[in-house]
Formats: sequence, C-alpha cells, structure tokens
Amino acid sequence: MRPGRVAVLTALVPALVAGACSYFREPEPYRPPASYGRPDAEALALGQRLYQRDCSFCHGNEGQGTPQGPDLVTGENGPALTDFMLRTGRMPIDDPDEEARAGDSPYDGDEIAALVAYIDDAFDQPGTDIPVVDPADGDLAEGRDVYAENCAACHATTGIGGAMLAQRGGKTTGVFIPDFARTSPTEVGEAARTGPGAMPAFGPGVIDDGELDSLARYVEYLEDPDDRGGAPIGRIGPVAEGAVGWVLGLGVLVVFIRWVGTKRGEEAR
Amino acid sequence: MFRRLAAWIDDRIGGSAFAESALSKVFPDHWSFMLGEIALYSFVVLVITGVFLTFFFDPSVAETTYQGDYEPLQGVTMSEAYRSVVDLSYDVRAGLVMRQAHHWAAIVFIGALVLHVLRVFFTGAFRRPREINWVLGVTLLILALFNGFTGYSLPDDLLSGTGLRIAYSIALSVPVIGTWLAFLVFGGEFPAQEIIPRLFVTHIMIVPAAIAALVSVHLALIWHQKHTDFAVGPARRESNVVGPKLWPTYAAYSVGLFFAVFAVIMAMGGLVQINPVWLYGPFRPAEVPSPAQPDWWLGWAEGALRIFPPWEIRAFGYEVPNPFYPGVIVPTITFGALYLWPFLEARFTGDRGPHHLLDRARDHPVRTAFGITALSFFVLLQLAASNDLLAHWFDASVATISWFFRIAVPVVPLVLGWFTYRLMVALRASGAERFAEMPLRAVVRPAGDGERPAVAEATAAPVPDGELTVYPEPDGRWRWRYRRPADDLELHSNKSYVTADDAEHSARQAFPEAPLVSSGD
Amino acid sequence: MNGGRRRILAAFGASMAASVGLTVVYALGGQPQIEGALLGVALGGIAVGLVLFAHRMLPGGRFAEPRDVVPRATAQRPGVAAAFEAGAEPFERRRLIATAFAGSLALLGVAALFPIRSLGTRPGRQLDHTSWRRGRRAVTVAGRPLRVDDLDLNSVVTVFPEGHEDAADSQTLLIRLPAGVPAPGPREWSTSGVVAFSKVCTHAGCPVGLYQAETQELFCPCHQSTFSVPEGAKPTFGPATRPLPQLPIGLDDDGYVTALSDYTEPVGPGFWNRPDG
Repeated sequence: MRPGRVAVLTALVPALVAGACSYFREPEPYRPPASYGRPDAEALALGQRLYQRDCSFCHGNEGQGTPQGPDLVTGENGPALTDFMLRTGRMPIDDPDEEARAGDSPYDGDEIAALVAYIDDAFDQPGTDIPVVDPADGDLAEGRDVYAENCAACHATTGIGGAMLAQRGGKTTGVFIPDFARTSPTEVGEAARTGPGAMPAFGPGVIDDGELDSLARYVEYLEDPDDRGGAPIGRIGPVAEGAVGWVLGLGVLVVFIRWVGTKRGEEAR
Repeated sequence: MFRRLAAWIDDRIGGSAFAESALSKVFPDHWSFMLGEIALYSFVVLVITGVFLTFFFDPSVAETTYQGDYEPLQGVTMSEAYRSVVDLSYDVRAGLVMRQAHHWAAIVFIGALVLHVLRVFFTGAFRRPREINWVLGVTLLILALFNGFTGYSLPDDLLSGTGLRIAYSIALSVPVIGTWLAFLVFGGEFPAQEIIPRLFVTHIMIVPAAIAALVSVHLALIWHQKHTDFAVGPARRESNVVGPKLWPTYAAYSVGLFFAVFAVIMAMGGLVQINPVWLYGPFRPAEVPSPAQPDWWLGWAEGALRIFPPWEIRAFGYEVPNPFYPGVIVPTITFGALYLWPFLEARFTGDRGPHHLLDRARDHPVRTAFGITALSFFVLLQLAASNDLLAHWFDASVATISWFFRIAVPVVPLVLGWFTYRLMVALRASGAERFAEMPLRAVVRPAGDGERPAVAEATAAPVPDGELTVYPEPDGRWRWRYRRPADDLELHSNKSYVTADDAEHSARQAFPEAPLVSSGD
Repeated sequence: MNGGRRRILAAFGASMAASVGLTVVYALGGQPQIEGALLGVALGGIAVGLVLFAHRMLPGGRFAEPRDVVPRATAQRPGVAAAFEAGAEPFERRRLIATAFAGSLALLGVAALFPIRSLGTRPGRQLDHTSWRRGRRAVTVAGRPLRVDDLDLNSVVTVFPEGHEDAADSQTLLIRLPAGVPAPGPREWSTSGVVAFSKVCTHAGCPVGLYQAETQELFCPCHQSTFSVPEGAKPTFGPATRPLPQLPIGLDDDGYVTALSDYTEPVGPGFWNRPDG
C-alpha cells in the first residue's frame, strides 16, 4: 500500500469510529431548567420593556386583551403558558392574523425569563407555574400508555403531527397539529398542563406529575425511536410503505424485466 | 444420468411426449409479459416467509404481560397475538427480516397483480379464447386483496384493530342482513374474541390454498392456450408463437426473475421498516391511531369512505347507512365491471372471434379511454385516502383537500378519458409507429377519415411472405424453418418430428400462407 | 477470460460471498439491516448471473411453434353430447327417483348451512344499548372515578362505566366546557359544564379521539368526521350523518361523575333496523 493511502486510512478509520460512536452515544441526561425563583427588579424592568415593545399592542397594556389578541388574565394564562409560547417561538407574531407556529424565538433565555416574570407579576395571572418535568424520573412504558390514551390521536401515534378542523366564523378551516421536533420535556409539561391554542389542557386529575415525567420521557423517545426495521420512511405507516413498495420494489423489478425481456423492435421477428 | 432417470419415470408413468413438447415450448419474451411472473414469484416468497412466521405467531387474544426486549412496552398488558409479533420483531433471530419481507412481498404481489391486469386489459389479451383466464385472474386479485387485509389485521396492534373496526362497520351497514353478517363473521359485537383466530385460519390456509389452486389453473390455461404476442414483424401471426424455448433460455430468464423478486423483497425486508407495530402499541378499543390508513391495496376504498358526502337513506324505520355506498357499492361495481368487461366488450363491438395477437392501445380507443378513466378514478381515490397527511404536509385544511377530491374524483377521470380517446384516435390516424413520433397537429386537429394521412401499409409495396423448408436432422428426425431474406429473418421449429410429413404439417399450421419449398439441405 | 464470462462469475461470486456473510452474521446474533443487505446480494447475484448467462450464452428467441387458433377436434363434440345424454337418459325416464335424489341433495345442503349460525351470537337488540346504567360512575380506563375538578376547563378524558372498563361500546368522552359555553342537550343531562358524548363515531365506529379546544370540536382520524360539542356533537364535516349520542350524567353523593341512565339511542355506526334516536 502506498504511503498516501495509509495516511488517508489512518485518518479515516478514527473519524468513522468517532462518527459511529457519536451515533450510538447515549444522549446527555436531561436537566430541567433552573426555576425562575423570585424575580429581581432588574428582570422585571427588562420584562416590562419587552412587553411594552412586543406584546402590548395586541394583549393590551394591562394584559386585558384587545381586538387583535386575547387577554392574559383569565383561563390557563400563567407562567407555564407564557413560557411555552415564548420558548417555542410561537410568540411574538408580527401580524395579529398570523397563526402562532413554533419557530426560533427572538429572545434569549434571560429575556424569556424576564417576560414570564413580569407578565405574571404585573397581571396576577391565574394559571399554573412552569411545571418541573424530569424525564429521568419517568417510566417509558407508563409514558407510552399516557401518550396513547391522551396524545396519539392528535399528534399521531409516532409523533409526526397531523391536521384537524375548526368551524371559525361559519367557515370550516384547517388546524395544523405540530410534531415534537425540538420539543423539550419542560415544553411537553407546559403544553399538557395549559393546553395552548387548539389543544385541550390535561390537569393533574387526568395526568399526574409522575405520569407527566413519564410522558415527557416517551415524547423524548419518539423523537428518535428504535427503528429496528431499517429506514423509517417518515413513520407515517401504510401510505409511505405503499409508495416505497411501488417505487422501490416494483420499480426495480420492472427495470429488471425490461432488461430480461425484449422490447418493441428488438424481438426475433 | 438424466437419461436413466427419464427412462425410469417414462417406464412407469409415461410422459416423454409431454416432456419433449414442454422443454421446447416457445414463450414470447416481451418484458411486459413478465409482470404476472413477478406476481407469481412474490406469492412464492409470501408462502416461504409466511410459513416461517406461522412457527412463531400465536393467534390468541388471551391477555398477557409483555416482558420482552422492547422497553416502552415492558409490563404492558396485551394479547398473545400482539406479544408474539413484537417477539418476532425483537427476540426471534432473523424474525424481523422475515416479518418485514412478508409484508413487502404482499405489497409487491398485489402491485404486480394490478400491473398485470392493466397489461392484459390495455392489450386486449382477455378476448376470446381467454375470457376464462380473465375471470380467474380477477378472482385471484380479489382473493389477494382479501388476504392482504386479513394479514394486516392479524398482529392485533392499534392500527390493525382500527381497520377491523371499520370492516365491522361496513358489514353492519349491509341492508337487512348487516347485523347478522357482522355478528357471524366477528363472533358477536365488536371487538369479539373470535376474530383473530378466525382470520388466522383464513389467512394462512383457506385463502392461500384457494390462490394456489386458482394460480395452477390459470397457469395451466396459459400453457394450454399458449401466450399471446404483439403483432410485430412478418413472423408473428394468430397461428403461431415466436420466441425462445422454455429449455434452457426461458427457464433461465424465469428462474433469474424469481431470484430477483426474492432479492428485492428480502433486501427491503431488512433495510426498509414496515409496519413497526411496537410503535403502534396493542389494540385498545378506546384508543385510535393517527394517521390511520390501510395498506395501499385498500387505499381506494378508504379514500371513497373519506370523501363520500354525509348522505344515507332512512325510510319506514329502516336505514341504509353511509358506509354502505363507498364500502360495499363501489367495490361491487368495481369487481363486477372487471368480471364482465370481456363479455361487455364482445357484445358492444360485435367482435366474438378468437384473438392471439394483442392490440396496441391505439387499436381500440374506447377501451383505452375507459381504462384510463377507471385507472385515474382509483388513483384519485387512493390519494384521497391520504387527505389528512396532505393537509398536514401542505398546511391546508382537511376540508379543502376533501372537497378537492369530491370534485376531482368524478370529473378528472372523465376529462382524462375523453382526452385519451382523442389522443388514441389521432395516433391511429397519424400512422406513427411510436407515440413520440406522432406530429403534434394530429392531436390538436385529428384528421377525419377523408383526410387520413398516408398510412404505412397503404403505401408500402406488398412484401412477399417468407419460405418454409422441411429438413432432416443428423439423427434422422425432421425440423422446419421459416426464412425471409428480405428481413434477414430465420426461425426454426421449436422441436423435431419423426416424419417429414409431421414437420410439414406443423410448418403449414404455423405459417399457413407461406410457400413450402422442397425439403432442402 | 472475456468480459461477459467475468461478469457472470462475479455475480455468482458475490452471491456466494454474501451467503457466507449471512451465516456469520446469523451466528453472531443477527442484525436486520445487514441480513437484508446480504440476502439481497445473495439472491440478486444469482438473478443477475443467470440472466447474464442466458443473454450471452443461451440460444435466443428464434423459434416458432404452431398454435390452434380455435381448439381442434370440434368434430368430437357430438360424441360428447351423445355420451352424456345416453347416460342421463335413465334419470330422465325415472323422474320421481331423479327428483328425490335432487331433493335430498338440496335439503342436505340447506341443513349443512345451519352450522354457520354457530359462528356468532344473535344480534338481537345488543347494538341498542351499552354498559351504562343509572348510578354507574364514570371511571378512567384504569378504573379511577372522576370529580368535576379533576378536569381542567376545556379539557377531555375518556371514561367507561365503573366495572366495565373493557366495554368498547361504552367508551365515552367526558368534556368540561370552557366558561361561557353553554352545555348542549337537556339541562339535567350535564353537570357543572361537564357533558358526556359517545366516543364511537356514528360513521364507521372509530374512536373520535381528537378534541379541538378552540371551538370545542371532536374529530375522527379515520374519515375526518367533525362534531361540534356546543351544538350537541352535531356533525359539521365529513361522512358522518348523525350526532354523537349524549350520555345523561350527574354527580353522586360523593361528588363523582355518574351516569343517569344508559344512552337513549344506539351508539356507533348505523345499521338496518337501528331505532330512531
């Protein structure tokens, strides 16, 4: 073997091994975010500034709501819901008619904490605090049961999201159901407890705190489940399987018989 | 060695004559004639993998607690049936590959059947004398669909249980006898205990045995009637078959194809995940999977159920519920029309004569247009079965998507059918050999009969037929050949004959109009 | 060695190597993806090798065989007919015996149909009622009874009649409506804004598992029927034609949600003699 190739191989093998190891490596153990604790004056001031700049136009100076946006002082409104909406980038939106969708948040962690603290402190919200969710305490099988009973119908059995309908203003409109990509355990807990948007809330009477840990663990698992069978082809079930069967299975075989058999013009006439 | 064995058998049961004609039987080898073979061989793979699965599958709905290797199910209560499928996937060595290959084989099997039916339909291969084989083929398709559904239902996972739930509701919707029908098939009100064991016996014994029996008759008839062929070149006629002999060439092709089918299915079985029931969880009546689709071969029926408007008939205290129309009427019309097509076509065209040479699509514009109409109808229904997924992917409303299909399903096929008809008429009139060679204006303004462009056969000078020659082989037996120097064409009789008269008779049967020149060389 | 031969041998060689590999993988405990890939090569190598061999080294398609355009030997048809008719003649002559024979076969056939009846229970009026009874508590699938406060506003939980947690036809959605949304149905059928509707879709029987909190609608994932809870679970989209039946509920002395009676109409998909609700 030439020296050049040896060098390439010696570089390649550790790279491959490292790649394989990182693929199979256990994910970092999950740490719940530090509790916000008593907000200090500085944080409240920052929160107020951000609120007046980005939120008050729709939600009102006192969180009382306006024609552009709902109030922040009734129902499930509380730190958990505020944190969920901000952390997942659903809020703020530029246009009140825009649907709130997950995305990148324009705020950093401190800014989100300041906003959550300010809104709760200023408007005396009735809703729940940010739940403390620790998947490490959860049980995967229990989480699977909770998920199957309460979540799978909407978010899909494999967590890929879905679609449903709402009659809004006499019109049938679509409701987009998100998947769980990049959803942290705390966000799972916040969503379950508060029911943001079209989602119903699940209180401790239906999913208790231990079950919530388990649920968060199963949702985390669903983001990268055991695809023992090979390429997961989207985990959407028979639709993808049928398409792959036709394109890959029958496709290859039709090409094969095209090769084996004759076509017009090449047969022994 | 071969001669001694052959002699031993021939001394006892005879059959040399049959064996000789069998080995030298001629098979036309156009690629599209092998679609049915893909179906046949995927059925063989289904049997092979299926037998393996029966050694491990437990068709029992008795409750058990899972203790296997898959962590998210540990301690979960489930049926023995579901437990055994998860075990097949996790604990039986090579079990998952076999299970997935079995499912992929079913997908390829029914897909190949559909392609085969389309080939036979569009080429008119169902015409006399092959109506019986057409009817057998349609029956095979129905049996395959049915066994596909029973197989999908066996693992007793959440998805399959939901499929059974819908099947039960469709049975329930049948007028007058619906409740009895549903209760007798399922053993009682859904979810009855009896259905899984019953499906198992049906799936592994009754239907496969019926398929195997009908496939045998289907093949025997093809063998007996000999395969159809395209009318290409001067040699192919109603009265003959041209191609390689079974032994050795076609046998090598066919065995090669078997291994190719086997290879593709087993590779997919290991590389592409299908029906990961461990993710779906065990069947529980109050849970529902989402998205919930059947395997592709029932997608059209699922699509019909989804987009059918909220209509039903209720009168005099009785009702014919909504699922009956898309769930029973649509399939009945579908398979009824498939069964009857050869007879309807013969009736409406008045063409009741025997045909061994195939049509091209343009030769029969009405049939082609009807086929495209039906095909696009089912493809659209198939897409409609994914309305929830389409809504999610395109970020549209499920209602919008459903309304699109409610309008497209009846309209688009008719438009496509009309367009196909015009296209085929224009193609036939243009005389172009290939579709791509057809001038565009022929489609825009198809020529009427009066201004039909010069067609090849009208202008070309008549070509003299080839010559037949009967000649002896070194061993004293006789063969014939057909030779046409103009095309550099030479065909030989597939087998040899004891006398020159027999060879001559055979040659004249194959090429009735060709002159026989004196026995040469 | 020419190229064709080399390629054929390479195909069979790859197949043999893959088969050896399969044995090794299996002995080491197996791995589905490696098994699939090796099986593909082991079988595909034979396929490619055989076809290459046939294309290059076996005689091609230059053979012809005569075929009968119509079946031969139609001359024998009269003979067949005569043979059949001659044999059938004694039956025709002795009409009574022939009729008796046919009759015994027909009756035996009818008698043989009766075991079909053993396949299932008599439907009777089973479909008209569920396991709900007056005074049966609504419990979760795990058997936990529920108070109104266990449900958040605008939330939903699946319940069964206590002691019948496996009764598929009794699955019921307990929904606590948000403030300001009046409970549908007769006033005494709901309690503290909590209403109960059958979870079995009136179209094809799937569990109507999706609750949309914004407008309080239920959605069936199987065929997309949508039901508006504030309007008495009336269908607003999809193939379903009937509302989901409502279960009359109240509170028992301990404050647990309890049925006041069974459903007053059959739940689930329609059937021929379904009584009017």
